[in-house]
Amino acid sequence: MTKPELLAPAGDLERLKIALLYGADAVYIGGTFNLRANADNFTVSEISKAVKFAHSLNKKVYVTVNIAMHNKELNKIIDYLKELDETSVDAIIVSDPAIIKLAKEHTNLVIHLSTQASTLNKEAALFWKNEGVSRIVLGRECHMEDIKDIKDNVDIELEVFIHGAMCASYSGRCVLSNFLTSRDSNRGGCSQICRWDFDLKENGEELKGEKPFTFCTKDLSLMKYIPELVNLGVDSLKIEGRMRSAYYIATIVSVYRKVIDEYWNNPKEYEYNLKYEQVLRRCANRDSVPQFFNGSFGKDVQYYNGRMEVTNQDFLGTVLDYSEGLMKVQQRNYFKKGDLITVFGPNDEFDMVIKEIYDENMDEIDIVRHPKQIVYIKSDREVAPNYMIKKALYPIDK
Amino acid sequence: MKTVAIIKNYNQANEIKDLVDAFILPIKDYSINFENYFTLDEVDKFQKLGKEVFLAFNKNIHNSEISDLKEKLMTADKLNIKGIIYYDVSLVKLKEDLGLKTDLVWSQEHMVTNYGTINYWHDKGVKYAYLSSEITKEEINEIKENSKAKLFMNVFGYLPMFTSRRHLVNNYIEYFNLEDSGKNKTIYKEGKYYPINDGSHGTTVYSDYILNILDEDFSNIDYLVFNSLLIDDESFKEVLYNFKNNIMEYKFPFNHGFLYNETVYRVKKND
Repeated sequence: MTKPELLAPAGDLERLKIALLYGADAVYIGGTFNLRANADNFTVSEISKAVKFAHSLNKKVYVTVNIAMHNKELNKIIDYLKELDETSVDAIIVSDPAIIKLAKEHTNLVIHLSTQASTLNKEAALFWKNEGVSRIVLGRECHMEDIKDIKDNVDIELEVFIHGAMCASYSGRCVLSNFLTSRDSNRGGCSQICRWDFDLKENGEELKGEKPFTFCTKDLSLMKYIPELVNLGVDSLKIEGRMRSAYYIATIVSVYRKVIDEYWNNPKEYEYNLKYEQVLRRCANRDSVPQFFNGSFGKDVQYYNGRMEVTNQDFLGTVLDYSEGLMKVQQRNYFKKGDLITVFGPNDEFDMVIKEIYDENMDEIDIVRHPKQIVYIKSDREVAPNYMIKKALYPIDK
Repeated sequence: MKTVAIIKNYNQANEIKDLVDAFILPIKDYSINFENYFTLDEVDKFQKLGKEVFLAFNKNIHNSEISDLKEKLMTADKLNIKGIIYYDVSLVKLKEDLGLKTDLVWSQEHMVTNYGTINYWHDKGVKYAYLSSEITKEEINEIKENSKAKLFMNVFGYLPMFTSRRHLVNNYIEYFNLEDSGKNKTIYKEGKYYPINDGSHGTTVYSDYILNILDEDFSNIDYLVFNSLLIDDESFKEVLYNFKNNIMEYKFPFNHGFLYNETVYRVKKND
């Protein structure tokens, strides 16, 4: 059995560095032909930089090329694949099999099959293995027994989503965006119609609950099932969210890093840590459940409260520097002298009470209320750039 | 060019048999996004109507279904049908492994959008491709010019927009303790009603309109599909009759869907 890779999303170079520094073994990013067309996707030169940075840490970069092509993309894709090949990316993530064929004909790229292909069974997995795919990102409708059977019967790497938002549909089987907003969901234009409210009617009469009808599901979290996933032999554990913030990435990645390492290093003594669950929940502001992995896709995995993701303003700031007992911090949310905060970095976390704050003129202040305001916080403990500060969850003497 | 009708019941098939060249029969437990489903035992009586018969096995196949699917495919292969419409790639693998002689129709609903991928599947032995309805007429014609496979395309009927394994309607009804009368349901937004169906394999949402592109010339396409879902038998028959007899009067308005409405996917420049 090999230790599974922790795979994180990265919307740009800053978040890529955060993901890798906070414990991801690999990141996946979007380039030109991917399903987040409206994200700040990577240019080829940025992909090269990303690969160099990741490889310097002995980590990996995968590039999503997972659109369902139309004719006009056929003419452009070969040159793009060749450019990607020159960047030394570790793999491309593909759903359209024509891209698999072209990649094999024109490049040496390693090919992972996207979850868009909705691979849910061992026969399909065998088909893709024979086509030269080295890894399959399984459909999110797989039960843990399905994963076991596929792993036991097909000699291919398996990647499983463990955390993040879920499509309400089978991946690839939703074109609500096309019909309602003229944006092509299978080419990256998804406008998340599944989170809209609708009125449910029966024979023209409203069938009305206390809240409107919606497709919206709770998020996925398989933190409780990390031991099972490790024991199943899953090769890569994937976090969703290329549009998410650096704070979100740092928090989620660092929590899963700890859970995987704690179980892997000492499975007999491993205990589920409720504090980690609380950290994940507060970071995402949405309920998360195991979804199909344990067979639960009934009423309790749906969201019926509208878009209630109330920002909790936990994230207080990013550390830019540390010198002579002072953290240089860029503010993200209001904080003040006397607040109990958690300071966390890639391999470090501690709580402290803010005792002294200074502005850029080194005048002492009590409150930091302005977004992106630069301040200095006294800290006896040394920190480094890319550390972050957030509201503490527990009393300091927990 | 042939016309093919998606069938709801035997009486309907019998009524329209002289108006179409082929039937699509959705197979119970292995197809979704249809109004009625048939067992393999029922296929024979439809074949006796003298039309080409295609069987729809177009659901996502879960691992636990593979064993039963093999048996169903082997049974279907003995029925001398024209083809099997599939979504899940496992059917391509099983056709090869089981030595099935029946041709396959690649029908990944919203992803049959370019000739390169159609030709990829053709090279894997897939003889037909069922075009997505979210592409333009220009793209369709370009696909036809460059494809090795024979093509199906929807020309009349509601279009599926969303398919989920989740029981979204039942979940809502259960969560809010509502009473389900079992009648047809829609979801409503901004003046439009979208039919929604929650069946044994999950939930499907359909377009708010009936696609009707019968005023367009698609005589270059091999199979034009008329879908009877949610349309009464008499009206459906009339549509087929008028089409066959080139009577350009339909009780359903022409609606061209995406034929002249190209979707976009990038709303801001980022490269």
